[in-house]
Amino acid sequence: MSSNRYTYGVIEQGPLDVDVMGVDGQPVETVDYRSLSAVVSEVGTMDPERTDENATAHDEVLRAVLQSNGGRTVIPMRFGMVFKTDTALKNVLRNGRVAFRRSLNDLDGMVELGLKLVTREGATVDRSAVVEDVATRLREVADTESGNDLYSDRLVFNRSYLVDRADQPAFDDTVAAVEAEYGDALHVQYNGPWAPYNFVDIEIGAEGR
Amino acid sequence: MFVVDDLLINPFVSILEGIHSMAISELYDTTEIRNEIKENRLLYELGERSEAEYERRNDELEDQLEIAREAREQIRGKVEVMR
Repeated sequence: MSSNRYTYGVIEQGPLDVDVMGVDGQPVETVDYRSLSAVVSEVGTMDPERTDENATAHDEVLRAVLQSNGGRTVIPMRFGMVFKTDTALKNVLRNGRVAFRRSLNDLDGMVELGLKLVTREGATVDRSAVVEDVATRLREVADTESGNDLYSDRLVFNRSYLVDRADQPAFDDTVAAVEAEYGDALHVQYNGPWAPYNFVDIEIGAEGR
Repeated sequence: MFVVDDLLINPFVSILEGIHSMAISELYDTTEIRNEIKENRLLYELGERSEAEYERRNDELEDQLEIAREAREQIRGKVEVMR
């Protein structure tokens, strides 16, 4: 079996001890380049299958990293980033080091939280009024927001928030208040904390692999 | 189990795609199918759709997506030969 590197994300260099297995049940390790570490596991293919199991493994590794050492900052990669060798991966860390360092600084101490509001079957609501009210309340307890696709007619609200860990209890309370007010007409799906997927924008050239 | 919506289908840290291949992407737009995949998952997570129904629909949609992707790959090949 060739030992390609499946890559989950990038963190500040340091020992990583997470009690979770990666894609294909492989142990999680790091590949270091100067002050950066890539979180990786071995994988036998360059093109891992996009199954629910693998997607869940990808996300569980990132969540475990996020919670390790009492709360760590991680720049998440998309699903399926595989590098042929450690050297290829280190080249990417070297070429992208300025962008990675900037992201680690910007995201320091932050987690991503998501909120979706979905109309209950047969319910009608004043969509724009709900959106404005909820967005205004959440902005007060969040650092940054990012609007996501309303990919279904049932979706009224779908946003991600970058929130300082210290502000998460206040954010929780605000979501609870929203649910108390709109819960009869709307499903409230509150999720996270995630790695800050929606607040990272780094492009890597394909030749880097 | 929640999975971030776009984990499987959109890049976060993305591989650069050239303008050339972007134009081909538009020919076989898979947005509609991907939206249905996400809606199906959402309704399952909210308890409006049973696991069996979710899986049946998801398999169907994944097949459609695969066909659209293959069609795109074939066109990509042809255009590159012409270049």
